Amino acid sequence: MSPRRRPLAPLSFAALFVALAALLPVQSAAPAAVGQREPDGRQLFVTGCSSCHGLNGGGTSRGPSVKGSGAAGAYYYLSTGRMPLADSDAQPARKPPAYSPEQIDLLVDYVASLGDGPPIPDVDPEAGHLAEGGALYRTNCGPCHAASGIGGALSYGRAAPSVKPATPAQAAAAIRMGPGQMPVFGPDTLSDDEVNSIVRYVRFLDSPPTPGGAALGGAGPIPEGFVVWIFGVGSLMLAVLWIGKLQERNARD
Amino acid sequence: MARWVDDRLGAAYLATKALRKVFPDHWSFMLGELSLYSFVVLVLTGVYLTFFFEPSQAEATYRGSYEALRGVEMTAAYRSAIELSFDVRAGLVMRQIHHWAALLFVATMVVHMARVFFTGAFRRPREINWMLGVTLLILAVFNGFAGYSLLDDQLSGTGLRIAYSVALSIPLAGTWLVSLLFGGEFPGPDIIERLYVIHILLLPAVIGLLIAAHMGILLRQKHTQFAGPGRAEGNVVGERVWPTYAAKGLGLFFITTAVLAALGGLAQINPIWIYGPFEPAEVSAASQPDWYMGWLDGALRLMPPWEVRVFGFELPNPFFPGAVLPGLTFALLYMWPFLEARVTGDRSEHHLLDRPRDRPVRTALGVSTIAFYGVLFLAGGSDVLSTTFGLSVNAVFQAFRIMLVALPVAGGWATYRLCKELSLRDGPVVV
Amino acid sequence: MQETEPSGSGDAAASAAATGERVVIGAFTASTLAALALAVVYWRGGQPQLEGVLLGLSLGGIGVGMVVWAKRFLPSGEITEERGQMGSTQEQVLSFTQAFEQGEHAIQRRALLLKLLGAAVGALGVAALFPIRSLGPRPGRGLFETGFRNGSRLMTEDNLPVRPQDIPVEGVVTVWPEGHVGEPDSPTLLVKVGTPDLFGGRTRKQWTVEGIVAYSKLCTHTGCPVGLYQARERLLLCPCHQSTFDVVEGAKPIFGPATRPLPQLPIGLNQAGELVAMGDYREPIGPGFWNRGR
Repeated sequence: MSPRRRPLAPLSFAALFVALAALLPVQSAAPAAVGQREPDGRQLFVTGCSSCHGLNGGGTSRGPSVKGSGAAGAYYYLSTGRMPLADSDAQPARKPPAYSPEQIDLLVDYVASLGDGPPIPDVDPEAGHLAEGGALYRTNCGPCHAASGIGGALSYGRAAPSVKPATPAQAAAAIRMGPGQMPVFGPDTLSDDEVNSIVRYVRFLDSPPTPGGAALGGAGPIPEGFVVWIFGVGSLMLAVLWIGKLQERNARD
Repeated sequence: MARWVDDRLGAAYLATKALRKVFPDHWSFMLGELSLYSFVVLVLTGVYLTFFFEPSQAEATYRGSYEALRGVEMTAAYRSAIELSFDVRAGLVMRQIHHWAALLFVATMVVHMARVFFTGAFRRPREINWMLGVTLLILAVFNGFAGYSLLDDQLSGTGLRIAYSVALSIPLAGTWLVSLLFGGEFPGPDIIERLYVIHILLLPAVIGLLIAAHMGILLRQKHTQFAGPGRAEGNVVGERVWPTYAAKGLGLFFITTAVLAALGGLAQINPIWIYGPFEPAEVSAASQPDWYMGWLDGALRLMPPWEVRVFGFELPNPFFPGAVLPGLTFALLYMWPFLEARVTGDRSEHHLLDRPRDRPVRTALGVSTIAFYGVLFLAGGSDVLSTTFGLSVNAVFQAFRIMLVALPVAGGWATYRLCKELSLRDGPVVV
Repeated sequence: MQETEPSGSGDAAASAAATGERVVIGAFTASTLAALALAVVYWRGGQPQLEGVLLGLSLGGIGVGMVVWAKRFLPSGEITEERGQMGSTQEQVLSFTQAFEQGEHAIQRRALLLKLLGAAVGALGVAALFPIRSLGPRPGRGLFETGFRNGSRLMTEDNLPVRPQDIPVEGVVTVWPEGHVGEPDSPTLLVKVGTPDLFGGRTRKQWTVEGIVAYSKLCTHTGCPVGLYQARERLLLCPCHQSTFDVVEGAKPIFGPATRPLPQLPIGLNQAGELVAMGDYREPIGPGFWNRGR
């Protein structure tokens, strides 16, 4: 189980990071004071995560155990900004990440060390086959995320999110670890090649060709119905008001 | 030239009579024409499409220019639609104009029907034409459903499965009905071919004939008109067919086709390449039928899980919202002129129209009905509404169930009051 | 009863007429140019948005031109025509009756002849309906059975068998009976929930294997595949009308219009450790029909 190494940022980036860190929201880790050691993964975890996930990642009443999440789970949640999460009742939603890429790396390594969860998959969309990815997507992903990738309703306020903003690594991580309500698709269900293809198709769905014109949100017949009434019937009502007589002169005085 | 024809047909007398006919020209009388023009567009674009569409469920592989489906196995029907969309010049535009025209056909019919209802134009002697109109609406809805199901994509195939199950739920006849229509269990090997015959031949022929009858009766009975100076039950005041009315009508025809052409090029509709070919074990989130069937889908969703089971026989749940509801809906529509005549005791001929405010009960009932079916229509999109507005779909269902009763009642009452108020302000009627 | 030509006199009318003419000329010209441009676009390979807009302009130009022509230059409104009577006059009805009853000799048993004619036509009509019977098979056992038999291996879409360890916890796989992969009535969901003691309610534990339970994928409401698995709550959700089934309670419907649980398939293991069915579903899968309980 080896975490995927991210390229080390140049020193200038670290300096920029210190400057940016001052602007990050409260939930982010406090920037290190000059001259002190950078907080390591464990310290970041204790500061930012343990209040819900427990000091050793075993979970509390406010949050589940992260011991089985592995690098994939930690990477998915942290890089999409879904974690840290203020309100543990709400479904985590994508937002700007609270941590820098370096901090995410540290946290990912630490969480991976806590248990036996899946590693960040080695995904290569270009090695995937677009058409096969489409077929696999429609079979496995479409029922929740919709054929167009815009997402769909689950019960009791949950929703399968839109897949359009997902990076290849995030999509692959989600497939392998099944965040939240999502089921888990293991290597015996979907091979690594198949995941490459699916991820390639997911990226394709972010900006698919729309030869027919405005895509109307990719939500199917409902917006189409609104368009025909508002633009179709609407413009023809205007035409008819222009062409026909507006009012019979009234019988009443 | 005209003389040459006239020497052979002697049409001059009839033609003169026709050209001199007078038509009242209020704007709200031009709504039915919009449906007629949509139908013309449907036929013209439809003929074009039949040259390219292959109504076959045989296995085929797409090898055209749309990369995301290249090499994928599908039916020949779906493939021909994809090829038309991507590999035939102007094919996509024609397909889209055709589909927009279908949506507009039914929409303008509903608007026209509302106008006829709210002005009381269905009263004697026009009950027959009203019933022809309701029939046309039913046939248009069926033909639209058949049409978009031909493409054999995942979305329309899901709809076909639901239609199959609703038909299946009909007591006694249901199992036979679906077996005969589909040629066996769902989906069966024949349904696309059969829908094709229904969609391009049977229903358009009947619709064409009924439109001709509908307009023939209109010509015979002459159009209704609003009350006004010089207007009485015994006359009709307006413009002559030639040249004014014909020119305006023809102009409106071109404007209608222009709107449809613009929609066909600018607004993407039914992107079947995203839905993928139909697979019976697959489904997509956000599956809805075209708008004019949305009320049925909403009814299927909102219906509480009630079923009737007795001695091993059952009336399955979908039977009530899927078969009984539309049955009642159209039965009431058909019977309305006769119901109203009986309740009001008014069996005389009417050629002058009501202003909606002068008939507060009818107008209120009409608004209630629109509210009822409107809520059902919105309920058909419950899941999309939930994700768009971040709501729980369970809560949305409950809200719609309440609205289904509350909104028609409230809307009807408010309309009644409004009519009375407006009526009072106008003062007494001077005939 | 007046027929008015476009009204007014003098300069105002003349300039209004000139404007009107200009609008019509403009409209028809724009239409012509658009049509030519459309031909060029098509010849050059086509482009849907341009095709639609140019076609719309060329049609709309004609339409607008015609309407303006009609409104400005054609005689308008207020001509009266009498309606006439809707029903026919007495004389018309009488002459119709006479014409219709022509050639009616005093046949003794006219009523009988007419009745027999009616019967003949009616019988022919009924007989003509019989070919409809050939459109499809008698609805038979097909609605009550699927391809699963005792020992049928459960095969994925790629026609591969499934072993329990292939499915991760909170994982879902769609399978069919061997030899019937892809058949529309038998897609089956295998759901692994972790530990068997999670199963309660009407779930038949003896039909599960190592925490894996098998249910029919076809919704008991209107037959859509119940494709959504909400892993954390262990719910199967049908996207069509939002029927929700509880996986650990025998797929009992807990929300939405479905009235019956998803039928459970009895599964076990064969010698090779592969998942197999231990018989067909014990009840008809999918949506209801009138004699489903028989």
